[in-house]
Amino acid sequence: MSIKLNKIFLYLFLGLAFIWLFVPFSMALLWSLVDPSVSWSYPDIFPKKLSLQRWFDMWETTSLSTAMLNSYSLAPLAALVTILLASPTAYAFAKIDFPGREVFKVLVLIPLVVPSFVIAIFFTSLLYSLHIYAKYPSILLGHVLLFMPYAVRILTVSFTQVNDDIVNAARDLGANPWAIFKVAYLPAIKPGILASLLIVFILSIEEFAVAFIVGSPDFTTIPTILYSFLGYNFIRSNAAVVSLVLVGPNVLLMLFLERLLQSANPQNVSGKG
Amino acid sequence: MKKPWWVVLLLITPGFGFVLLLIGAVVSMAVAQSIGFYNFAGESQFSLEHWQQIINGDGSRRFWRAFRYSAYIASYSAILSVIIAYPIALWLRKPFKGSITLSAILKAPMLVHGLVAAFLMINVISYHGFINEFMIWSGLWDKPVRMQNDKLGIGVIFLQVWKQMPFALLLLSGSVQNLSDSVLDAAQDLGAGSIARFRKVVLPLTLQSLQAALILIFIGAAGDFSFQKVAGPTAENSMATLMIYVQTDVGDWNGAAVIAIMLMVLALFGSLAVAIVAKYVSRVATL
Repeated sequence: MSIKLNKIFLYLFLGLAFIWLFVPFSMALLWSLVDPSVSWSYPDIFPKKLSLQRWFDMWETTSLSTAMLNSYSLAPLAALVTILLASPTAYAFAKIDFPGREVFKVLVLIPLVVPSFVIAIFFTSLLYSLHIYAKYPSILLGHVLLFMPYAVRILTVSFTQVNDDIVNAARDLGANPWAIFKVAYLPAIKPGILASLLIVFILSIEEFAVAFIVGSPDFTTIPTILYSFLGYNFIRSNAAVVSLVLVGPNVLLMLFLERLLQSANPQNVSGKG
Repeated sequence: MKKPWWVVLLLITPGFGFVLLLIGAVVSMAVAQSIGFYNFAGESQFSLEHWQQIINGDGSRRFWRAFRYSAYIASYSAILSVIIAYPIALWLRKPFKGSITLSAILKAPMLVHGLVAAFLMINVISYHGFINEFMIWSGLWDKPVRMQNDKLGIGVIFLQVWKQMPFALLLLSGSVQNLSDSVLDAAQDLGAGSIARFRKVVLPLTLQSLQAALILIFIGAAGDFSFQKVAGPTAENSMATLMIYVQTDVGDWNGAAVIAIMLMVLALFGSLAVAIVAKYVSRVATL
């Protein structure tokens, strides 16, 4: 493709990107800043009065703070439990030859292809039939199930990158298991552990189906409270505040994750070069 | 490395075993409830009445309408996503100035939550939203056009493509970048233009990623609930919204189970069908 044409396309796309990212987000920001006392309605192009009042109101009068507490305590717990359960499987998938390993590797991905609302509803009915009604631990369990495939997948790749020569060398030099883990395993799997912690954290914050169905009607997370502002009681400014609360931290974390995944490339952790 | 079987079993039980047991229990629960067991509202016993009622009885028109609607949304979303992603992936095959920024911007929607995306789109297309105000301000339209909750579900398809296209782009970029220059150059030397090269070289060599993208997007879009609820046509149900309606508002868990099974059937066979069509199209294209 000629360089000139390339430039034209580039600017065209950057322009499009402006329309499909910048415009919607700035509108959300504007809506969240509309002062409750003066409404923003047709035909005003811009709101007449801006303030942070909505943000304070949301914090004080709605259950946003509870929802944030729930989301931000569920997510690290889910991440931790998922990694702890996933690691032995990932180690076995990466390092041990056993019959059916390739089939197992595919089977562990099943939660990704079952529609999430099907999982949510029949996970709930499973809990009911076992007479389990505690919502917080149930949602935690649901999240661990939904995100285990990601953790197993990422950690399997990490364990594959552990260099057996280093393990053997350390053993020959008389290192104890902990020392072997520290010099041979940890450097190779650390980025993978961090990456899977982060990805489960982000996915758990964003998870809607299980939190909505298992948690209904009174247990709220950030996505379920956003849904309630979009559905039954549609209040644009409130929805704008929750949207920004949901998207902001996750975008920052995702950018960090991207960095991590890049540093997780084999050359950096194989102990060579 | 070899280990005794019980060591392997011990290692894979907490992760793999947990997933298989729980997802197995969840899916079995759906199957059992669809054939009358675990009836929370009546007598639990084997019966095909729930199937009869949903797919053949009073609710059948509503059900098949939702089935067709979800199939329609999922096929269009999957096909449009890959049609848009292909040229971009080819374009970004060789890095150039600005290409990294561009691919970062294109991937940005993956970071935006579905519900937030739906909300943002509503702000832009609503009756007094950005597009309408802009078109009236510029004098191109006399009065606002109603675009929200459109009858054909174009808003939902747009959202699906917005959210899922980056995913197709990711898969296709990977395989497009693996194409060797020598093969493409050879085709060019033999007189193939860019369209012929795409048809006869690129398409067959990247078919697997294309199929993977189609399958995953189809499955995701077939099970959609939030886009449909927030931006979809008010007169239509998707399979997921119908399932939730039957379970929550009607309180019929067993009926919801029938819909769940049919949703999984749709996701499985629908996505395979789209993948097979893609293979057939690529065969025809090479002729």
